[in-house]
Order: sequence, then structure tokens, then C-alpha cells
Amino acid sequence: MSTEIEQELSTGRTVALRDSVSLRRAVLGSLGVVSFVSIWWVASLTQPDFVLPSPFAVVETFYNEAASGEMTEALTDSMKHWIPGAVVGTTLGIMTGIALGWSRLLDDIWSPVVRLLRPVPPLAMIGFAIAWFGINHTGAAFIIAIGAFWINFYAAYGGVEGVSDDLLDVARSLGVTSNRGLVQAVVLPAALPEILTGIRTSIGRSWMLVVAAEIFGVSGIGRRIIRASNNLQVDVVIAYILLLSLTFLVIDMLFRIAQRRLLRWT
Amino acid sequence: MDMKQTDPSRLTIESVGKVYESPRGSVQALHDVSLQISPGEFISLVGPSGCGKTTLFRIVAGLVEPTTGSVLLNETPVSGPGENMGIVFQEYHLFPWRTVRGNIGFGLEQQDVPKSERNKRIEELIDLVGLEGFEDSYPKALSGGMKQRVALARALATNPSLLLMDEPFSAVDAQTRRRLQDELLDIWEETGTTVLFVTHDIEEAIRLADRVAVMAKDPGRVAEVIDINLERPRTRTDQDFGTYYEQILSLIDTEYAGSGA
Repeated sequence: MSTEIEQELSTGRTVALRDSVSLRRAVLGSLGVVSFVSIWWVASLTQPDFVLPSPFAVVETFYNEAASGEMTEALTDSMKHWIPGAVVGTTLGIMTGIALGWSRLLDDIWSPVVRLLRPVPPLAMIGFAIAWFGINHTGAAFIIAIGAFWINFYAAYGGVEGVSDDLLDVARSLGVTSNRGLVQAVVLPAALPEILTGIRTSIGRSWMLVVAAEIFGVSGIGRRIIRASNNLQVDVVIAYILLLSLTFLVIDMLFRIAQRRLLRWT
Repeated sequence: MDMKQTDPSRLTIESVGKVYESPRGSVQALHDVSLQISPGEFISLVGPSGCGKTTLFRIVAGLVEPTTGSVLLNETPVSGPGENMGIVFQEYHLFPWRTVRGNIGFGLEQQDVPKSERNKRIEELIDLVGLEGFEDSYPKALSGGMKQRVALARALATNPSLLLMDEPFSAVDAQTRRRLQDELLDIWEETGTTVLFVTHDIEEAIRLADRVAVMAKDPGRVAEVIDINLERPRTRTDQDFGTYYEQILSLIDTEYAGSGA
């Protein structure tokens, strides 16, 4: 009985501590943001609009773009290639990573090819993207998929390689006979932390590729930024950069919530 | 609640040898090891490090193939790991992503035992090892002693006819170890399984086993098997206990000096 009470007290203490730490961080973080905006504002007073607009001008532009529906359109367009590209790249990367991490044979056969292809930057593939798919959402998705693929490949590969042989022995001794059974019952859950970290990193990386993937004329946030940049509409540029960041933050936050739930055993 | 659902098996280790090939030549980890364990018997395997007891353990468990000889469970040769044997490894090796319940039920899931029956069995085992209240905890929240109880419950879940334990209590403190030993003896009395218990701790070996098989190294072999004719529970302050202790210790010491018999 006393151990239960002890546990309750310790949990309570931990929660209180955690709350006070996150409150502190929220306060300090807000101070940081406010300082940053203040410095920006002061600097903007000394510069013409096309060099550095004031933060307030940017907020107004942001609002206008949002209200006119331009922003929604740009965001939707970007999503039309980001989502398929990220999903395909992530899935293929994880599957291939698991396959090569688990099978010695597949690893021996494909490792040299992997090493050859790995250093090729996604942007170098733009020529292929245009030739194979055209200047459209598919072409952009292709570039994004490449970016997502490698990160997930290495994360899954590493995760599978790192699975303890002892855990596999335990599973075998408890009746798991097939390779497939082992992968399902042990390898995947054991590698899950690394796989999820890979997915999280690839979300960031592939999102950053969105602008570059749209360079050759595919519509989206990146294209909007480039057009505004050509017209020296720096406030629009900054507003859409802000949109990029906010979108990423939201997606990342949602992912982290899912990640924490899935990894509550760690 | 009837736990004795499977008849305990006879374990026959017949002239088992294991040679490891390395670039520098071959190492004979085990040489001509033979041991007969009767159904329901509790055997301790004790010896210095390097005597091959873990290798022998893994061969019996079906995880390693012997170079020569064979292992028989009743009349059937052991060809791979299987669920007629319950195994508790040295570092417990619980599945960290599964709760206590999930770990214990793993073997039952593999056997496609229906959920309601599975849950009933899990409850029985939780009761048996004394983990009430921790059914839904993850291994990260458990102490060493608790983790070992989960490992034991997991190994017993499918009602194995043979229980193999490789230094299961070496990672916990002395008091916990004492308590786990007592609990193990209680469980053994209730289930009647055949038990092969590997340890480097002579006192532990004497305290638990019907017979103690003392191993020697270079090459790894069974030097002698000693009957422990003491009533349980056994205390080390007992005179006879001390005699057995000295006997085994001197065996290990002589053999440890390297000479073969």
C-alpha cells in the first residue's frame, strides 16, 4: 500500500516539475520571439520596403493574402505534390531499409548500388523529373519523394540492424518460426523509434524541398515566393515564408504527438 | 487452477560437443558432455566462466547446433527452439514495447490461443509470480526483480515440459535473489516442470537443485554430478550445506587449474 502512495507522490512531483519547466520555457521562448520581432521592426525603419518591410506590413500582407484565398490556393497546390511525394518516398524508403537491413543477401547485392545513388541530390534529378513526368505535380512529387526516401531508408536500415539478437532468440523460443513472423513480432516494433525519427526528419527535409521542386513552374507556395521575389514584393515573400514555417510547425507538432503515443514504452 | 497440464519431460544430453572454427584455429567449447535429467528434476549447472555452460544451454535450447552428439526431449531430438521449452535468459530480454500482460501472452499468441483463454492464463501467471497491479505496466517501469518475474511468467505461459534458466538472478541484488530463489522453488513445486538452471553461484546451485552438475573448462565438460540430499528450504549455515559447497568449490578449483581429468 505504501508503495502506491509513494508512486502517486512521485508522479505528482514529476508533473509539477514538468509543468514549471515548460512554463519557464514558454515564457523565455516568448521573450525570444518578441526580441526578434522588435529588432526586425527597428531595422525595418531604416530600410525601404523592398529591402526590409516592417513586421506589421508583413502581417497585413499575410492577412490580405489569406483573405483573398491566394494563400489557401498556394497551400493546397503545394500539398498536391508534397503529400504524395512524401508518402511514396517515406513508404518506399522504410520498406527498402527494412529489406536490406534484415536480409544479408539483399544487402550484399544492393549495397554498392545504394552507395552510388545516395549522394545524388534530389535537385539534380529535376531534368529527369521534367523528362519523365513533365512540369506538373507528379514531377514535383518525384523530387520530393527522393528527398524523403533516403532519410527513411537509412533510419529503417539502422533500426533493423540494431535489433538485438537476443530478442530474436527469445521470440524464436516462444514459437515464432518464420522470418516474416520475426519481422512482424520483433523487428518492426523494435525498430519503430528509429523509423519514426526518420519519418519526422524526412517531413522537415521534404517540406524544404517544396520550394525548389516548384522552381520550374509547378504552382504552390514556392512558386508564389519566386514570383513575388521577381516583383520585389519582399513583404509577400516573407509572408509566404512565414506560411511555410507555420505549416511545418503544425505538421511537426501533430507528428510528435503521434510519435509520443506510439513510443510510450520508451 | 491446475497448472500441471503438461507432463514434465526427460532431458537427455548425449555426447554433445561443440567446436568453433576461427581463423586462428578451432576452439573446442564443449567436449563429450552427457547428462540425464529425469522428469520433474531440478538440475543446476555450475562452473567457472569459459567452461561452456552458456554454450551448452543454448544447444539444449535449440538455438545452437552441436557439432557432435544430440539433445533429446523425451524421445524427440531438439532441432530448434520450440514452445515445449520455457526459457529465461540472463538479461530477461522482455519486449520493451509490450506491457507485462503483452509479454506474458506472447507465446500464447503464437499458439493462436483465443483471447479469452489467453487472458485467463495471463491472470493465473500474474497471480503466480506476484505482479498484481502491474499488468499494464511497461518494462521500463519495472525493477530488475519484477522484470525477472515477468520473464519467468512468460516462459511458463505455454506450460512447457522443460524450463531452462541461464543465470536468471545474477543481475539482481542479494536479497531479491534470495526471494526469487524461494519463489522459483514454490513455483517449481506447483508446476512440477523439469528445470535446468545455469549459474556461476555455487551457493545458489546447492540451494535450489536436486543434483548439481559441475562443469570444467579446457575443454568444456561435465566433471561431476553431485546429489544434494538436503531437505528444502536449505540454509547455507547448515553443516551439510557447507560440505557440499567445499566439495563443489574444490572441484572447480582443481579443474580451473586447467588439467583434464
